[in-house]
Amino acid sequence: MMVLLLAWVYGPALFTAVLSFLEWNLTGAPGGFVGFDNYARLFREPEFGQAAGQTFLYAAALLPFSTVIPMFLAIMLWQRPGRASTVYRSLLFLPVMVAPVAVAVSWRFVLNPLQGLANEVIGAFGIAPMNWLGNPASALIVIVLVTSAKVTAFNMLLYSAALSTLDRRTLEAAKLERASAWETTRFVVIPQLHTTTVLLGLLSIVLAGQWVFTNVSVLTQGGPDGVTDNVYYRIYTLGFEFFETGMASAAAAVVLLFFAIASLGWLLVRRINARR
Amino acid sequence: MNLFRPSPRSTSVRLVTSIIAVGSLLAMAGCSAAAEADTAENTTITFSSYNYGTAGAAGEGTQALLDEFAELHPEITVVPEAVPVADVLTKTKTAVAADIAPDVVQLGYSKLAEALETLPLQSIEDIAGDEWDEHAEGINQALVETGEFDGTTHALPYTVSIPTVFYNADIFRAAGLDPETPPTSIDEVATAAAAITAAGKYGVYFGAVDSGKSDYLTQSVINSAGGSTVDADGKITLDSPEAIAGLQAVQDLTTEGLQPAVAIEDALAAFSAGEMGMLVMTTAVLGSVQASAEGLFELRTAAFPTFNDELARPTHSGASLVILSEDEAKQQASWELVKFMTSKEGYTMITEQIGYLPLRADLAEDPAYLADYFAENTLLLPPLEQLETLAPYLSFPGAKANQATVLFQDNAVSPIVLRDADVEATLTEVADRIRDLVGDK
Repeated sequence: MMVLLLAWVYGPALFTAVLSFLEWNLTGAPGGFVGFDNYARLFREPEFGQAAGQTFLYAAALLPFSTVIPMFLAIMLWQRPGRASTVYRSLLFLPVMVAPVAVAVSWRFVLNPLQGLANEVIGAFGIAPMNWLGNPASALIVIVLVTSAKVTAFNMLLYSAALSTLDRRTLEAAKLERASAWETTRFVVIPQLHTTTVLLGLLSIVLAGQWVFTNVSVLTQGGPDGVTDNVYYRIYTLGFEFFETGMASAAAAVVLLFFAIASLGWLLVRRINARR
Repeated sequence: MNLFRPSPRSTSVRLVTSIIAVGSLLAMAGCSAAAEADTAENTTITFSSYNYGTAGAAGEGTQALLDEFAELHPEITVVPEAVPVADVLTKTKTAVAADIAPDVVQLGYSKLAEALETLPLQSIEDIAGDEWDEHAEGINQALVETGEFDGTTHALPYTVSIPTVFYNADIFRAAGLDPETPPTSIDEVATAAAAITAAGKYGVYFGAVDSGKSDYLTQSVINSAGGSTVDADGKITLDSPEAIAGLQAVQDLTTEGLQPAVAIEDALAAFSAGEMGMLVMTTAVLGSVQASAEGLFELRTAAFPTFNDELARPTHSGASLVILSEDEAKQQASWELVKFMTSKEGYTMITEQIGYLPLRADLAEDPAYLADYFAENTLLLPPLEQLETLAPYLSFPGAKANQATVLFQDNAVSPIVLRDADVEATLTEVADRIRDLVGDK
């Protein structure tokens, strides 16, 4: 197991760290040692700082779609077992099964500002047409909403799995106490989903930037004005569009370092809380 | 039963197995010998193309070229590889890094400068040897010179197009405009767009914000306004007064409501659906626009407009052919492919079947080649005439040329044309960043 971890995780991480101190355009042999120059250039360019800020926005915006909404949907379906529930669950899960690029391309047609369906729909309500992906005010929200369908669907399945492991005795006790459906949900069901919610929330914060990657790549390429960019797409752009391998590696190292420090902080807080 | 003593049955099985094994080895040896003989006679090369495999005229035309080449050269097998247009440089670089580089690549001109600096492109002139002078004669010299590096030609023009004004003659009539006299200057474009907008359609769209991050149309605007993105000494001049004036004129179309502030694909879709009066874009889309217009509206073309009292000076977009193979036999096979595709016959097929401009001057009037085609297909005539005053495509200097182009397009052209950014301040800021990036202090 350790060997596999070394080969697939720690080895590449170490290699990336080494590359971050080199000048290399991918095609020739790696150039000379440049010290912290790649890091300095990375922090000097405004795009990386903006991409980091947008990554936090993505994490915050996707959090409800990865926790509250799928939990709500899963509980609704769990409370009404039967064929209809299975059909709804299958329909809600459908976005997970469709190829991500195909979904993104379909959205491109729907969101076409001159002839798209989205503007036809809002036009029926007397709302002026919008440039959904070309307007910096709406582009990030659109990317979040487009991505949310898949995230919500997948996490709903995980919540459904968690609901199947609820302690039946507590549910029976609630029934004996004549608790209403809302009281049972609020005081019995949701507390038992705490661990799942924390896990999915953390995964959402860590992976939000990666989840939106395909939609950003197909729909906006980080624009307009960088508002839909994030650190992962920036790393890809630096590494595979500009072939700034050193800078891309430096960016990856910074992201890794950030999450390592955040994880340590989290563990420390939990340990302190446990001692109290 | 003694498990350690072979039974008569197992002995016979061993015998049969041995015969099969020896037979297989002999057969393999035979195959190997045959394969060597095959290799000696046939050469297989790979061809990476962004037109290959696409739906419509570009994909079908590329396939027709390959089929024709296969008939002419049965000793050469070409294995085509489809690659998205925006990923050509990325895919080629990663393939080179992985030591699986394609032998011939259709490479966009906006990526050529960086490719020349960072990829092991071979000198086509050297590979062609004695055949070079005769073959290169007649090909548009401005385009041949664009492919020169270290004193020899490393890229030959393949699928080249220039920006032109597509216009909807039906919308012109409905707006009270005369389709026989299309606008020739940016001011006339604005006037016509105002009439079209008043008639309830989208006026015009200048495709400067290119989805492939090429700045060919931006350069065409700046050149025609009397400026350039890079001067003769390689200095960055995209913040010159002329460049500012050119992009200001395009921005004015947006701010005055004559040009929708949308992505180029959306504008193309609107024009193809008969909802837009004028579309200023590469002739590369002629085939698809023509197909959409059939039965829907009358499509016409006009020359790229002037921006001042001087002649319009559009530059070109499109792609060249480059050879990466280091193996001598593959280099010769690659040259045969490049030679065919850039021959009179190849260029004729490219024009007739895909819609790119013919890159040998005499083809358009030669009855043996494209004279009949141009007699019937007049849409390419305005850009064909402008081919004579074509400005060379200019790349930013150095190995980070592509990064500089993307920076220019994303951080300057897009906010200026689509989002009302201050033209002078934006160009000045981006020019300084590009100077810093390419080392032009």
